[in-house]
Amino acid sequence: MLSKLKRILQKADADYADIRYEIKKETFITLDGKELSNIGSTTTDGYVVRVLKNCGFTSVSFTKEDDAEKALKTAQENAVLLGNNIEKPIKLAEVPIIKDTFIPTLKEDPRKISIEEKLNLLMHYNNIPLAHKKIVMTNMGYSETTREKYFISSEGAEIHEVLITTGISGSIISKDGNLTQNVRVGAGGSDGFYTVRELDDKFEKRTKIAIDLLSAEPVKAGVYDCILNQSLAGVFAHEAFGHFSEADIVESLPAMRKKMQIGNKLGNNVLSIIDNATILNQLGFYKYDDEGVAVREVKLLTNGVLTGRLHSRRTAHEFGEPISGHCVAEDYRFAPIIRMGTIYIEPQDKTLEQLMEELGDGLYILNAKGGQTSGENFTFGAQYGFIVKNGKKEKMVRDINISGNLYQTLQDITAVGNDLKLSKTGGCGKGQTNIRSCHGAPHILMKNVVLGGV
Amino acid sequence: MEKLLNMARKVCDQAEIYYCEPTSSEVMFQKGELHDIESQFQSGMALRIIKDGKLGFSYTKNLIDREEFIQNALDSLKGGVQAPYDFPHTSELPTLKTYNEHINEVTSSSMVENCTRITEIFIKNTDAEIEIVAYKEVLNQRIINSQGTDVHSKIGSTGYWLSLVYPGGGAGISRVYEEKIPFSVSRNILDNLVKMYNDSSKVVTIPGGKMKILFMPGSMYTLLWRLHSGTSAKSIYEEISPIKKDIGTQIVSEAITFYNDPLDDEVPGARSFDDEGVPTKKMNIIEKGVLKNFFYDINYAQKLSKQSTGHGYRASMWGGDTITMKPTPRLAHPRIAPGEKSFEELVAMMDKGIILDGVMGAHSGNIPNGDYSVGVSPGLYVEKGEIVGRVKDVMVAGNVYDTLKKVVAIENKLHTCWGGRMPAILCDSISVSSK
Repeated sequence: MLSKLKRILQKADADYADIRYEIKKETFITLDGKELSNIGSTTTDGYVVRVLKNCGFTSVSFTKEDDAEKALKTAQENAVLLGNNIEKPIKLAEVPIIKDTFIPTLKEDPRKISIEEKLNLLMHYNNIPLAHKKIVMTNMGYSETTREKYFISSEGAEIHEVLITTGISGSIISKDGNLTQNVRVGAGGSDGFYTVRELDDKFEKRTKIAIDLLSAEPVKAGVYDCILNQSLAGVFAHEAFGHFSEADIVESLPAMRKKMQIGNKLGNNVLSIIDNATILNQLGFYKYDDEGVAVREVKLLTNGVLTGRLHSRRTAHEFGEPISGHCVAEDYRFAPIIRMGTIYIEPQDKTLEQLMEELGDGLYILNAKGGQTSGENFTFGAQYGFIVKNGKKEKMVRDINISGNLYQTLQDITAVGNDLKLSKTGGCGKGQTNIRSCHGAPHILMKNVVLGGV
Repeated sequence: MEKLLNMARKVCDQAEIYYCEPTSSEVMFQKGELHDIESQFQSGMALRIIKDGKLGFSYTKNLIDREEFIQNALDSLKGGVQAPYDFPHTSELPTLKTYNEHINEVTSSSMVENCTRITEIFIKNTDAEIEIVAYKEVLNQRIINSQGTDVHSKIGSTGYWLSLVYPGGGAGISRVYEEKIPFSVSRNILDNLVKMYNDSSKVVTIPGGKMKILFMPGSMYTLLWRLHSGTSAKSIYEEISPIKKDIGTQIVSEAITFYNDPLDDEVPGARSFDDEGVPTKKMNIIEKGVLKNFFYDINYAQKLSKQSTGHGYRASMWGGDTITMKPTPRLAHPRIAPGEKSFEELVAMMDKGIILDGVMGAHSGNIPNGDYSVGVSPGLYVEKGEIVGRVKDVMVAGNVYDTLKKVVAIENKLHTCWGGRMPAILCDSISVSSK
């Protein structure tokens, strides 16, 4: 395959060119309630070429090998057009030229497990919630995605990397009268099928939450001090802060870029945030990004001070900052963009009990339910929460959506727990989906949080 | 494709091939400067087979080995997905004008030129961080099945996404304009956007409480997703729709007529058949506040002993490659009927309230129940009929069925927006929380 790609790339008339060919194999099973609605395995593939010419840098994705020349020609024409219309020439940061093959070591290779066994396991988990009268529906899925990537650049890089992501995820829907509630459940990872085994306990717990939510009260809109559990704090790290550590986003927002200078004090002293996709056995793990750069750990925020940023080769040069290996594509349809790998808030020394005591009166809110950012503003949902009085957990509340301002919130995180947990399911949609998006945190205490209520 | 179909029908009772070939190019401007140009030449096909009442499915980007492709579908039969239905026999369809040769005049160069013109106007008249995307897409689709259906369509569209972002805030005034032929955005439209941006540049602080909200087309998907969930045959079958027993009942204000109009070929994207080859039609979901119809694909229609209404589409909430998805019920061309007021008249009707020009977090919250709780992105604050600035750290929350009972007035025209074509809708007494 690599030699075929070399032949295609030889025809490029450019200062730099690369090509990625990718075979994507997916196995999927979907259950809607007791019904099996989807099952199968399938393979798709395609190419992406990128060209730097006349100081312009563009990409074309294509499906058919016969389209390779047309794709290169289009990319070159577009690069020239781009170069003619920009003031500052695009350059790529220098990187070590890598020739390597990376095949992950798996504990139980999911590809060797029969689809019957996968279906039985999914049905087993699915039956846990469905055994309860108040659970009216589940949407449960098994997914297994293998990205087999081949990357060649005109600088001499030759990389073959395989990434296999396994996951079970879905939602449990409870109903009482006209009120429906839903709770998400899921697990998975990058290093084998074992990551979706032994989830009975998790399904039992989530089922109970879905049922309990039917008698929980909607939270009253207002401003609260909150403790966020690990999943929710991880989403904060990803949504509110993480996206602005991505150089391509900050680059498009000049006022934000000014505030997000390396060395600027942005957050409370207790707050340190790291992206580290090199941690083995985590969902977010990978070795090389989709422009052939080895990923490395980046300390993004250290004791409240901005210390690093996530880059592509283009932005690393543009910012004059070190390359980080975070330019990743969803699949063969896309040119890579800057993505987080495994982003997490570094743990400190407080136990959850100490945080509760420090909170006094407020809310303890748990588990993420989608989030979004728009510049310095963010919003995300929590699946459920508890009212806390005098440091004691009281009744359950539902319909929790919070909103805030990044800079203010970074200051308002006043205490960080000692119980770091990393997520086992991903899914970040920044134009493309990243199923390996992994985040985590310990429990954190956040002051002055706006809640929307219903 | 015919050869593949012939091979497939020899090993199963029914077969269907869906072919899709999108070609697109996109020009992106950031900070008032050309930033990137991207192109795609994609194609692929999906195979559905029915054998002994069971469904098999496979898809591919490159049809290298027909036998393997069919074998993949046969293998998936083992899973036992029930399919006690037939693929449709569609013979006659209305002719829609979905493709105009002139779209070929849209080139990367012409898109760069048009974006440059818009950028210059914005730079001259605002302090905004300007983002503009121009695009062109041509989509070829064909569906053939063993019942004799052979339908195809070619759809061309070109458009602009314009955004004037308040410095530092990330939120901004954003609009989409789309046509079937080359066009440029009129000076009048650009001037109105500039005025709206400048009028709202000042940040104002407001107390929370109940107030009027003007849902702009750009934030309407918040309500649309919830209506979609409530009226989809899937939710009806799964018994999670709060309005599943309400056909014939008044569920929202009589000012609201919510319908699907796939045959409207004045705008890009019209379809005479859905992704299963079933003919489409204009259909009211809610007529003058009364719930009239749910929408069905073949699969859920069969489960509920109904007929498909031509709403089987291969799509998800978050996009994805269409060939990889099986059809599910979807409103691909939703509209809310226009009312009688101009945008200016709607604003003049607001003593105090927020123009919800965009939102964050529409996907969070309890969608099946109709609940929403979204951050404003941006929210323009109105006092005594005038925009006085914009609010930050503010959330707007409610339940779609309750919100649409409080309609005060509806704009007299539809705008292309994410998910459909919508007017602005003014509602009263909506919950707003603020710091």
